[in-house]
Amino acid sequence: MELLPQYIANGLVIGAFYALSALGLTLILGLMRVVNFAHGELYMVGGVMGWWATARLGLDFFSGLLLVAVVLGTFGWLIDRFLIERIRDQGEEPGILLTIGLSIFLANTALLLVGTAPLKIESPLAGGPLFIGPIVLTKARLFAVAVSIALMIITYLVIQKTRLGRAMRATFQDPMAAKLVGIRTANIYAGTFAMGTVIASMAGMLLGSIYSTQVSIGGLVSMKAFVVVILGGMGSFAGAIVGGLLLGLAEALWGGYVATGWVDIIGFILVILTLLFRPYGLFVKRAERA
Amino acid sequence: MKYLTSGISGLMLVSCAAVAAEGAGPVRIGVIQPLTGSVAYNGQAYVRGAKLAVAQRNAQGGINGRQVQLQIEDGQCQPANSVNAAEKLIQRNKVPVLAGAFCSSATAAVMAVAEKYKIPLLSGVSSKADLTEKGMKYFFRSAETDRLMARTFSKILADDLKLKSVAYIGVNDDWGRGGVEDFEKDLNALGVKSVMKEYFDHGTTDFYTLLTKLRALKPDGVFVAAETQDGSILVKQLKEFGIETKVFGVGSWATADFIGLTGEASEGIYAAVPYVSNMKGERNAGFVDSYQKEYKQLPGKYDASGYNAMNILMQAIERAGSDEPEKIRDALYRTDYKAPNGRFQFTEKGEGYGFDTVLVQIQGGKTHVVTQARTEKP
Amino acid sequence: MKIQRTCLSAFMLLAAALPFIVSDQYILHVAIIVMFYAVLATSLNLVVGYVGEFSLGHTAFLGTGAYAAALLSTQAGWPMWATIPAAGVCAAVMGTLIGAITLRLHGPFFVIITLSFSEVLRLIANNWVAVTKGPMGIAGVPQPAFLAQIDTLAGKHFYYAIAWSLLALALYLAYRFVNSNAGRAAVAIRENRYVAQSVGIRPLNYSMMALVLGAFLSGAAGGFYAHYISFVGPEMFRFAFMVTMITMVLIGGKGTLIGPLVGALLVTFLEEYLREAQELRLSLFGLIVIAIVLFMPNGIMGFVSRHREKREQNQASPLNMNVSATNRRSA
Repeated sequence: MELLPQYIANGLVIGAFYALSALGLTLILGLMRVVNFAHGELYMVGGVMGWWATARLGLDFFSGLLLVAVVLGTFGWLIDRFLIERIRDQGEEPGILLTIGLSIFLANTALLLVGTAPLKIESPLAGGPLFIGPIVLTKARLFAVAVSIALMIITYLVIQKTRLGRAMRATFQDPMAAKLVGIRTANIYAGTFAMGTVIASMAGMLLGSIYSTQVSIGGLVSMKAFVVVILGGMGSFAGAIVGGLLLGLAEALWGGYVATGWVDIIGFILVILTLLFRPYGLFVKRAERA
Repeated sequence: MKYLTSGISGLMLVSCAAVAAEGAGPVRIGVIQPLTGSVAYNGQAYVRGAKLAVAQRNAQGGINGRQVQLQIEDGQCQPANSVNAAEKLIQRNKVPVLAGAFCSSATAAVMAVAEKYKIPLLSGVSSKADLTEKGMKYFFRSAETDRLMARTFSKILADDLKLKSVAYIGVNDDWGRGGVEDFEKDLNALGVKSVMKEYFDHGTTDFYTLLTKLRALKPDGVFVAAETQDGSILVKQLKEFGIETKVFGVGSWATADFIGLTGEASEGIYAAVPYVSNMKGERNAGFVDSYQKEYKQLPGKYDASGYNAMNILMQAIERAGSDEPEKIRDALYRTDYKAPNGRFQFTEKGEGYGFDTVLVQIQGGKTHVVTQARTEKP
Repeated sequence: MKIQRTCLSAFMLLAAALPFIVSDQYILHVAIIVMFYAVLATSLNLVVGYVGEFSLGHTAFLGTGAYAAALLSTQAGWPMWATIPAAGVCAAVMGTLIGAITLRLHGPFFVIITLSFSEVLRLIANNWVAVTKGPMGIAGVPQPAFLAQIDTLAGKHFYYAIAWSLLALALYLAYRFVNSNAGRAAVAIRENRYVAQSVGIRPLNYSMMALVLGAFLSGAAGGFYAHYISFVGPEMFRFAFMVTMITMVLIGGKGTLIGPLVGALLVTFLEEYLREAQELRLSLFGLIVIAIVLFMPNGIMGFVSRHREKREQNQASPLNMNVSATNRRSA
């Protein structure tokens, strides 16, 4: 089929975006066992703030991205320290309800502040078609994929190579032991949530430059992120990336060969199948995690 | 515990008693529109137009000396919420007329409520053709139906654009599906082949898969039924994808917002719309002027619908000379409203006709009227 | 147990008296919606409160029931008194299917898989146009014929009576379930799964029972809704509906029978009165949810019963203290 390479290209591009937006969620879900329903809204706030920074404050794309990261990171830290900290030991229900409440609040306050119209974020690169053999892409998309990969690498390095990352991994494996060796677990949790928020919001701004950003997209983004996290395994970094790519490809192929109206269903079916047969993710060998 | 529940129930009783009796004060018009949710953007435009109409009327002394008051509720384009809003407006606020509820499915649900309470309902937006076929006696529609648009413009499109094959793309809701089907039927009757029919979900941001299929099929034209939010992204990606085919569609395509969002990708797109700000018409210039003064932007399709709907209702109330729903309903049948975009009259089924619709092409970031046609009595 | 029964009966009596006191149709409408939600919250409470698993897929049963009733009455011409029970049965079947698959999982996995099922059903409802008419939905679900003859107030009373009966049925069934061996087994599973298994309780059987019962009740409620609103669309499966349900259960207090009632009352009132705040409405709602989670995690009933326990502890002597505390613990 002549269309196959294009479908694969589409799928990989979207997949990279899915992977990026799910990365923040998998860290929070895997490390803190908090089912963060506000994830999509954090993504959306990142996009809206990115628009405000570039369109209203007149910053260029990268400064805007940095601003978004700093502001949203602080916001995430505060959310964890003051809201989630208080319900941390009560199982996952309060976390779910809390983040649902948070998502309703964020979505509607943003609606009040910015309105319902879709907002455009200027990408630093042009949007014209770029032909690579039989495949059509745009420079803006390639740029976004490149930035996504860069962010993933940075996150990986932070987790693996820095002290913070080591402390995070230690807390993940055994919070009690981590406390015993002097790690301030409260700060680690807050830091992890902040990191997840930063990644989500940067993804929001980045993807907002390719599509457009809108106050109402939070819900859909959350759902897709959950799908990816389940596919890849909660807390698994590599899993989020592979899961994202897998979802992107599955959707592109299904949409191409069956019908585009049914595209969203494929993600959920994959989730159901995964949870039935490999609940800890498609790629996780160990059955038991913290 | 008992006291808790009794207390709350007691509150309910007290609050109902607290509804004060309204005297012969202002004339109330109930409005149900989506103010939140995915089509809030367009619902708010409708409300803007409505408020302008009411403000203008009140400045001229209101209706028979009484000021007009809009009671606006958020229906969210959902049948359940719109029904709740309708119940509240009819029972609590005691409005004698209703306008709404934007989406055809919400309007269908509210229609049943209005019929039950015998309150006239006017929809300025819902375009599903069968709404007036349900035998409801209290429902009026001042909007264009997709069937009407299809009938009016298919031949022109087929001839002007020399279409032999068309691909259809629609948003996956009742309006999108209806639009695609109506246009497909008429174009097929003219001998134009349909090569693709695909729907996308509201809120889709990535159309590449759909566009891949589209490009491979190489149709002469692409028909799109989408609103500003999805449509602008689709059109942008169409051009990104390098598709040069002629694009035409229905929806809020010719608005300034849409053009702003799509940028140069909107060049050359055809749109069949019931209203654009640069339509010909003596009253249109005046309307556009006052709208711009008030809101600092050009009016679009939904602003005009709100404006027209309110004026139709207010004129009917004036003709009826009273607040009674029955009299207002009878007066509505005798409507002959001179709008910015033509005249509005109603058939016995409550279907509006006589107004102008236009086929425009976007050139250089502005709408350019290709044809303006009057809708005939169906 | 006795206090529960008294409170529930008192509430139902008050509710029965309401139509005779009030003739404002809007208030009656709100009351009907409150009772509808109370049935949903009670059914959800069976899963969340008594089995102890957080289900986000309950809309699957609601929607199945609503579509079943709508299709049966529009396509097959069944009358309302037949479609509502049939809706309940269809939803119960769906509950068996979904339960068989999802009840093996716990914690966040259960949450996500139930959510996925709801979404799959929503997408099917939205796209299988031949049967469900897709996004156009099924409009004009017929009302019983005699309603056209009587005036609208009496019509409202009729629906009120049906909603009341549904709620009474739901409360009765829930009460019988909770205070039966099956209910006690479910609580045992909730408290400690492994110990329950060690005394011979098969978790899957009892969680399944709770789920199917909950599904039946919400399916019946869905059928009622279809006739009352006369329109059924894919939005019945939407997450927003689920959020309302789960908020009611958690605000009212899960694991109690009165909790869902209180929750339904409060949340419906909150939503209606917050209408006055217009645009701020939903932001406020979000904040309120956060506040409840932080300050009243066991919901209002949990708060009240803890308050009472503390009072009893202060009043009672050390010897009596243990006995009264044990009585309190069943549901």
